[in-house]
Amino acid sequence: MNRGILSGFGIAAVASIIAYSSIFTVSETEQVLLLQLGEPIRVVKEPGINFKLPLIQNVITMEKRILNFDPPSAEVIAADKKRLVVDVYARYSIDDPLRFYQAVGTEAAVRSRLSDVINSSLRKVLGRVDLSTVLSAERSELMRTISEDVNTEGTKLGVRIVDVRIKRADLPDANSQAVFRRMQAEREREAREARARGAEEAQKVRADADRQRTVLLAEARKQSEILRGEGDGLRNRIYVDAFQKDPEFFTFYRSMQAYRTAMSGQDTTLVLSPTGDFFRYFGSAAGADGR
Amino acid sequence: MPWTNEGGSGRGPWGQGPSGGGMQPPNLEELLKRGQDRFKGMLPGGVGWGGRGIAVLVLLAVVGWLFSGFYRVEPDEVGVEQRFGRYSETSLPGLRYHLPFPIEMVTTPKVTRVNRVDVGFRSAAERGRAVQATGRDITEESLMLTGDENIVDIDFAVFWRINDARAYLFNVQQPAPTVKAVAESVMREVVGKRRIDDVLTEGREDVQRETRESMQRVLDSYGAGIDVTQVQLQKADPPAAVIDAFRDVQAARADQERLRNEAQAYSNDVIPRARGQAEQVRLEAEGYREQVVADAQGEVSRFLAIYGEYAQARTVVRERMYLETMEQVFQGINKIVIGTGDGQGVMPFLPLTELLKRQQPAPAVNRSEGHQPEGPK
Repeated sequence: MNRGILSGFGIAAVASIIAYSSIFTVSETEQVLLLQLGEPIRVVKEPGINFKLPLIQNVITMEKRILNFDPPSAEVIAADKKRLVVDVYARYSIDDPLRFYQAVGTEAAVRSRLSDVINSSLRKVLGRVDLSTVLSAERSELMRTISEDVNTEGTKLGVRIVDVRIKRADLPDANSQAVFRRMQAEREREAREARARGAEEAQKVRADADRQRTVLLAEARKQSEILRGEGDGLRNRIYVDAFQKDPEFFTFYRSMQAYRTAMSGQDTTLVLSPTGDFFRYFGSAAGADGR
Repeated sequence: MPWTNEGGSGRGPWGQGPSGGGMQPPNLEELLKRGQDRFKGMLPGGVGWGGRGIAVLVLLAVVGWLFSGFYRVEPDEVGVEQRFGRYSETSLPGLRYHLPFPIEMVTTPKVTRVNRVDVGFRSAAERGRAVQATGRDITEESLMLTGDENIVDIDFAVFWRINDARAYLFNVQQPAPTVKAVAESVMREVVGKRRIDDVLTEGREDVQRETRESMQRVLDSYGAGIDVTQVQLQKADPPAAVIDAFRDVQAARADQERLRNEAQAYSNDVIPRARGQAEQVRLEAEGYREQVVADAQGEVSRFLAIYGEYAQARTVVRERMYLETMEQVFQGINKIVIGTGDGQGVMPFLPLTELLKRQQPAPAVNRSEGHQPEGPK
């Protein structure tokens, strides 16, 4: 009885081992190359459950997802002799597992192959254009060219290059320093110009203010002279109008006024002989010569 | 993901137990042990019990295995189920069931969580997780060339979340590093098309928007199942080596403004004053005009009044005016009267200087002429 159970379990175990080794699953993220005694016979890309012959067939599982490859940065020289440190990354997927298996085998191997391909493509493509082109809208065009270039090589390795993108395209350190110096010089120029412009504007505004002041005052003086002249003229007309009535009396009247003001000082000493109208009665009550 | 149930198999109490052919060995061992026990004594009757025991154990194992198919999807997750590796369905949050391990498995990515990638710097949170605290600013990531061949220092953060869990899991091998690589590449491309002043000032919004859109395009071309929600420029500065020069430009701009304002202030000060001064000059002149006219009119009207009197009695008025004037004139001054005839002879001998010294200051006679017309009216 025990022996029967034992052998029953033994058979079950062997059966399940055989079943296990003849069934394989392919995940969504994988693809499988089926080998029979080392000879590739089938590629399974569809995910799901699959069957194979046990023992003589074995599977090689590969990634189906898009893979990342980040080669070390390289220094390339643009057409205008400017050096650039270019860091790219590539996204690729294993497109043809059979060819991939035959050509390179492992992901590490394909990386080293791709690294060379990318490097030479970078030199080729970027060596044809100026730095300014790399720094322009044409950059995506350049990246596409590189992608296509690399893809041609990649196809031979069974991989499809999804894209190659320039991650960094910077100047080497020495050149960066030169750029910094240039930037500094540019900014200094800008600062100087701003200050000079400020001075210029300020001077203009001040000068204009001074001009306005001068003009205002001159204009005022002009008006002032006109007004004063008007006043003087008016005065003369008033006098003339009045004094015209009796010029002789005016002369007398004005003379009297003038004597009074001219002789009013205390320091005036008058030496005179008692003649004239004032002294008419000084000598005689009848008057000197009568009038 | 701290407690994601990788394949759901670690969830149930019977864990890995029933995995495929692995279920055989423990049972076999136990069986052998039992068999030995049975040989040692009570052979009869024990066989039936042993067979039942095995059946119970197998049943328990099967039930446990079936139960291992339960899994929980948290509110921020979805469950992506695969049957024999092939995608079967996506389950929503809650308690879910899938067929146990070798047949089906589940992955539960966090689809509502917004992830963050920093480029050019490491934020505090990220540094805390790192074993060693790295420098905050990473210049090889943050320094980039602009279109006019200047260098600018940009730090930015990208926020992204899973848009399509199936695509996210199955299409790209390392989604998070991919996002970062794409971010770096796109940012440099975008900045490389622009002038430095644009990037530093008003172009920032555009840079963010364009980077986000461009990143989305690239990631979509990978079928990454990722949604870039935001690109945020944390810093867009000139490089540290030249930042002083840039600041000086700002200062110079401020100086320019200041100089202009000072000049304007001067102008604002001078011109109104000048206007006031001009007005003063003009008003003074106006006053002068009014004054001389008024004076003249006054004088004239006085003259005319006197003249009115004079016209009526010419001799009398004239005599009186003359005498009054002379009276007043002589009253206020020193006078030396020299008799008629001799005068001529004496004149040369008059000690004029002596006379001037001797004279006493007489009180000023201030009789106004104004009284004159009153007299003979």
